[in-house]
Amino acid sequence: MSTIVIGLSMGLLLFLLAAGLTLIFGMLRVINFAHGSLYMLGAYISYQVVQLTGSFWIGLAIAPVVAAAIGALMERLALRPVYDRDHVYQLLLTFGFILVIEEGVRIFWGLDYKQVSPPALLSQPVELFGSSVPSYRLFIIGFGALVSASLFVMLDRTRYGMVIRAASGDPDMVRTLGISVSRIRTAVFAIGAGLAALGGVVAAPLLPIELGMGFSVIIDCFIVVIVGGLGNIRGAVLAALLIGMTRAIGYTYAPSWVDFLTFLLLIATLILRPEGLFSRKGRTA
Amino acid sequence: MTARRSIQAVLAMVVAAIALAPLVLPGDSGLHLVNLILIWSIFAVGFDLVFGIAGMLSFGHAAMFGTGAYALTLLTTRMGWDFLPALGAAGILGGLLALVFSFFAMRAAGLFFALLTLALAQLIYILAGSKLRDLTGGVDGLGGVPRPDLFGVDFYDDGNFYFFLLGMFVLALAVAGVLRLSPFGQALRAVKANDVRAEQIGFNVQRLRQAVFAVSGIYAGISGALLASLIFYVSPQMLHWTTSGDVVIMVLLGGMGTLFGPILGVALFEVLREGLSTVTPYWYGILGLVFILCTIFMPHGLAGLAQQLRQRFGAGGRR
Repeated sequence: MSTIVIGLSMGLLLFLLAAGLTLIFGMLRVINFAHGSLYMLGAYISYQVVQLTGSFWIGLAIAPVVAAAIGALMERLALRPVYDRDHVYQLLLTFGFILVIEEGVRIFWGLDYKQVSPPALLSQPVELFGSSVPSYRLFIIGFGALVSASLFVMLDRTRYGMVIRAASGDPDMVRTLGISVSRIRTAVFAIGAGLAALGGVVAAPLLPIELGMGFSVIIDCFIVVIVGGLGNIRGAVLAALLIGMTRAIGYTYAPSWVDFLTFLLLIATLILRPEGLFSRKGRTA
Repeated sequence: MTARRSIQAVLAMVVAAIALAPLVLPGDSGLHLVNLILIWSIFAVGFDLVFGIAGMLSFGHAAMFGTGAYALTLLTTRMGWDFLPALGAAGILGGLLALVFSFFAMRAAGLFFALLTLALAQLIYILAGSKLRDLTGGVDGLGGVPRPDLFGVDFYDDGNFYFFLLGMFVLALAVAGVLRLSPFGQALRAVKANDVRAEQIGFNVQRLRQAVFAVSGIYAGISGALLASLIFYVSPQMLHWTTSGDVVIMVLLGGMGTLFGPILGVALFEVLREGLSTVTPYWYGILGLVFILCTIFMPHGLAGLAQQLRQRFGAGGRR
């Protein structure tokens, strides 16, 4: 039971990150290398807020806003001037941001590991089907599902979502209809950055907060995005859960092989279905 | 055309001035810097064949670089090989690993190729740090990497080793220069410009890409081995993704797709590293800023800057 809970919580956490990555890719055709750095930033902000106020929940509210603002600035100042160029330049720009954000974090918080404890409300394990599971994990599952569901409702059922989907498909047409595509791009990048930071806050009590955390998670995100199908947000959900479960089962039965299992999944996908396990033709964002 | 040729000549002279500086300027720190520049230049020139000529962005070249370093170290210290055969083996292993990478990574095109090379390189990094600890010494790395033993020259003296590196550098540059002008290089440019059209003309695009990836793997393997030999030490840090990132930064700073540009990029990078790291511990962040600004305002790097200046102020003046 606890394996399932851990797997699901890991999967939903991964999805929070992969969703931002996928949204940004669908809209801007940019793979945001700095996504992991924003996740790390979210965790550090959470630590800082807990230090100042003692409340985990305030951090959960503040960190995504800060990261979204940073994301909007990144898009506006750096990415917008280079949209006309080859996509490689945009990728390289976000790579430059990794260096800058990591350095910023090092300047503010130093090199030591930081620790955030789960909120008092969720620190006790609970009984579930006869086995005891950490309640914080259950919170991640619920919260992750809630955020994912609202994201889907936003994309599929609201006007904003409709505009985003339309602009992902055909930006020129949307522009002729009198909608500012560049403003949508900034907004989508900000949302993606906010989601990354949200993931960071949620993950903060689970692991030591350190400089390398962004990079180890970004590799997993890339694997999710590739396994799920490029730019396919529904595929990303399934792939994130698949990888979360794989890792959880791996940790239980063969802890030293976990990373290999993940990579095996990636390589199997590439050989069997290079377009992604869950992608159907013509389906994006 | 003459304008372009004269820019080429200027760039070549700058590169020659950097490479030959130790002959005129004595001093140990400068010598070490030039040695580093020569080694990283071999890496960058090989990387640019993939990135600048064939238009494939790889974020996994650290894997080949580090593999070459480990290959040289293990073959010489554990198996008792001589330096030169081990150096050759390092190059071959780098090339073979690149072939394996290309087999998997080329199933995705464009940006996702970059992600896949990154993921595969990370797999190698994890392997070296954990599973192969007995072989690689884990995170501690391995020391005692030898230098060549030729003609009775003491290559353990940095001044003498400089000549060995200079020879390797000139050789690598010459081979890359020939490759760029050869039909193979022209075909790769065609693939970069329009891969569909190249395919239709009858080029085997996948084969071409794999071939150039393997060649740059050889470059990476050899340069990694040389770096290990220069600093007598190899660690998983050489396999780390920042190493892949460093070579991308170097090539882009210098000017992708040009023969001499990447070398200028390496020189600038190494000078920044030396200069800034003594002044401030935050040099890597500053480097990131420089890199971002260069990507936005100077997409063709230092080599392209020369061209831009020439167009603006040069004798030509006419557009």
